[in-house]
Amino acid sequence: MFKKTNIRFIIIAITLTLAAYMVYWTIAYHTFPPEKVEEMRTDGSLDQYENRIVRLGLDLQGGVHVVLELNLPKLVETLASNPTPQLNSILEAAGNEYKSTDEDFFNILSRKVAAEDFRLVRHFSGLNKFKNDEIIAYLRDEAKDAVQRALQIIRNRVDQFGVSEPTIQKAGQYRIIVELAGIKDPAQARNLIQSTALLEFILLKDAQVTQSFIAAVDNYLKTGRQLATKDTKPVPEDTLVTLKESKDKAVSVNELLGITEAETGLESTPADTTLLVDERLFSEKPFSSLLRNVHNFIGVPERNVYAVKKILNNPGVQKLIPYDSKFLWSAKPERVTTPDGKTENYYLLYHLNREAGIQGKYITKADARYGSTQTNAAGQPIVNLSMNNEGAKIFSRLTGSNIGKFLAIVLDDKVYMSPSIRVKIPNGQAYIEGLDNMDEAKNIAIVLRAGALPAPVDIIEERTIGPSLGRDSITSSVRLGIIAFIAVIIFMIIYYKGAGLLADMAVLLNIVFVMAILATLGATLTLPGIAGLILTIGMAVDANVLVFERIRDELTKGKTVRAAIDAGYSRAFRTILDSNVTTMLTALILMQFGTGPVKGFAITLFWGILSSMFTAVFVTRTIFNYRTEHKILQSLSI
Amino acid sequence: MKIFKETNIQFVKYIKMAISISTICILIGIISMVFFRGLNYGIDFTGGTLIQVQFDHNVTTAEIRNALATVNLENSMIQKSVGMNEYIIRIAQDNSTENIPAQISTGLNTLKETTYEIRRTEQVGPKIGKELRTATVWAIIWALVVIGIYISIRFQFRFAIGAVVALIHDVLFTLGVFSITHLEISLTTIAAFLTIVGYSLNDTIVIYDRVRENMKIMRSENITTIVNRSINETLSRTIITAFTTFIVVLVLSFTSGEIQVFAIAMMIGVIVGTYSSIYIAGPIVISLQSTRHAKKQ
Repeated sequence: MFKKTNIRFIIIAITLTLAAYMVYWTIAYHTFPPEKVEEMRTDGSLDQYENRIVRLGLDLQGGVHVVLELNLPKLVETLASNPTPQLNSILEAAGNEYKSTDEDFFNILSRKVAAEDFRLVRHFSGLNKFKNDEIIAYLRDEAKDAVQRALQIIRNRVDQFGVSEPTIQKAGQYRIIVELAGIKDPAQARNLIQSTALLEFILLKDAQVTQSFIAAVDNYLKTGRQLATKDTKPVPEDTLVTLKESKDKAVSVNELLGITEAETGLESTPADTTLLVDERLFSEKPFSSLLRNVHNFIGVPERNVYAVKKILNNPGVQKLIPYDSKFLWSAKPERVTTPDGKTENYYLLYHLNREAGIQGKYITKADARYGSTQTNAAGQPIVNLSMNNEGAKIFSRLTGSNIGKFLAIVLDDKVYMSPSIRVKIPNGQAYIEGLDNMDEAKNIAIVLRAGALPAPVDIIEERTIGPSLGRDSITSSVRLGIIAFIAVIIFMIIYYKGAGLLADMAVLLNIVFVMAILATLGATLTLPGIAGLILTIGMAVDANVLVFERIRDELTKGKTVRAAIDAGYSRAFRTILDSNVTTMLTALILMQFGTGPVKGFAITLFWGILSSMFTAVFVTRTIFNYRTEHKILQSLSI
Repeated sequence: MKIFKETNIQFVKYIKMAISISTICILIGIISMVFFRGLNYGIDFTGGTLIQVQFDHNVTTAEIRNALATVNLENSMIQKSVGMNEYIIRIAQDNSTENIPAQISTGLNTLKETTYEIRRTEQVGPKIGKELRTATVWAIIWALVVIGIYISIRFQFRFAIGAVVALIHDVLFTLGVFSITHLEISLTTIAAFLTIVGYSLNDTIVIYDRVRENMKIMRSENITTIVNRSINETLSRTIITAFTTFIVVLVLSFTSGEIQVFAIAMMIGVIVGTYSSIYIAGPIVISLQSTRHAKKQ
């Protein structure tokens, strides 16, 4: 017959073995050298580890945490046929209100539409839905569907990017959380996720149209300022100064824009930022003076980009832009050496048709490779594109009827290249050049293959932790944890002698158990999680303190050692239960409401307290029982 | 070893004084929160950008500010961090769509004498911040409600009131300290607040449990005597647990960043929580009892 105490020992032995087994995987995994991990990943033996270890959170191993939200106004705009300025302004107003309130976007939209007595059916015909409410309901469904598609597309992209154990999940209605651990280049990852992958081939506007627009802006800005034009210098024929002729001088933004401020409504910019304007053009043609001719395209020196963007966004200037056209910037600056030997970065400004000639949805293949020797991009990283039959037909028509014109290849509203069309291209083959390196080419190929997002996604929260910070955090928190643990151990031994040692053992066991539970749950250990674990050290001894104080009380009342132990445990247990349950309730609420760091803390706190009830009550009691069973103790080391 | 032997301190006698002191402290905190310093919400709640950057040479805050001025970000909050030449740069939310971290990099690139490593970037949108504020307030309200219900079931309703008032006392007091010291309120601080709630409650429950037990044993005694006796009997445990927890959070306070703020909040919380369990939670049970008796007569 087993004695009760023996059964207790067996239970302890089994749980301890299980716990040790679970913890073993974690320790083994985290002590492998990186090469070994890589090797095991390829032969597949890593899976058995990854399924049963405590993973380190982003704050400990470094990584990116991004919360994305589908840009709902843009989505509706994309779904609408022939969006008008009125629709766009309603969408913009709804979008702005959505950003600052808790209300659902479609409720706001519904309200705005009703307020303006706007009939949505004008833009959503052919749905067999006529009432605004019906169309809003349809849009809401479309948005839910779009989030699901975006989720899938982002998952595909991340999978192809090759990050181990990424987390990609839906949060709330229109949000997606992406967590990528241990990546080296967060900016690259961000581009990969956020890229809408909207590929368009758009024809450039004829040069005359662009010239007359620039002249109109010059005129607009000039009439806006009261600058006396006494010493007007002769202005060259061509409005855009070629690099060789330009005589640059530094002008403050205020000098250029401050004067026109009242008229154009531009915000004033601190005076110490200087712009590069052409001296001869400045007074006569203020807008042209910011621009340069770079290989017959409009070049804007990097430091003028801000001012040019401001001018283009000015409501008065917006009105001057021909309705069927838009302006886009080059993806990368071009490095140009000026006559006086200085190098200056130029961004190119493109004046394009508003409507794309052909969109990327016809792309069937996208591969990153080096350009072949026959092309301009020989030896450069390029992305080679193939279109399906339908796409090839459209492309063939587009190129055939526009020979001699320039065709911009635009990805996510950034122009990568703008070759001139020399011949009709019948086979649907094209490529993108102008990339920095092979990595960028690969990423673009990935996003094009994975498909375009239904609408742009905005990053509404981003946290990036460098790997070195994570390492420092582990080192310092583990060191402090050990110090705290030793301090508590010493205090307990001094105060409760033998019994204190027992309590210390219980705390140590508790840490092992919590790690084992976290491993079993596949939970992630974060920095606040470690704090929670350290805190449970302090709080776990509480259960033992309660018990020991009771036993001391009973001993002073004159009870025998055995009776005192029995009474101490049974009386203290109810207290321990009530006090721990309330703390666990708080931890549960934290798990429910908390995000990221708070959740990690709550999880370790919750399991720490639960397992402390086992270690501090069951385990220590067993050892007391064992000792009193074997001999009648006259005194207790407590 | 035993520090407390059969203590019989008349805690109940000092109740009025304790309540006055508590009220004054909390009032000072509330005045500071409402009229003077307010609360220093971190970007988790306000939205904005935080960047932790480590330089390989000595730089001063002024140098960093000048570097940031080149990208018009001279109004950033720049704070020395614990690490070697490490700084935390915070930028409040604005509506510009510019990529703030990239702008900061551009600005810091103008520092010629030193290179740097960006160790942490956090960007929180204003909407997220607002949602987190709401979620946090609800978390605290739910915690109090659930705790109240649990205590009402396990003890009596007046015990629940006592415990919840003591908890509100603790949270208000700690908030007051945060307002006066201008320590940052982040998600981690909120976790600390809720831990304080849990900890203080632990203490209160232990005393209440003894009151519940003594009410059965000492039927003839009045509630004042019972509460006083119970506080004395559990005093030893209260102090020891407070001490061990305090050691741990004291050690944690030598870390840096958010965990440090967490530890500081907890240090305040352990002291206030212990105090409120004795001087707030107990007396409320007494006064609720006496008013009931008074009504009966």
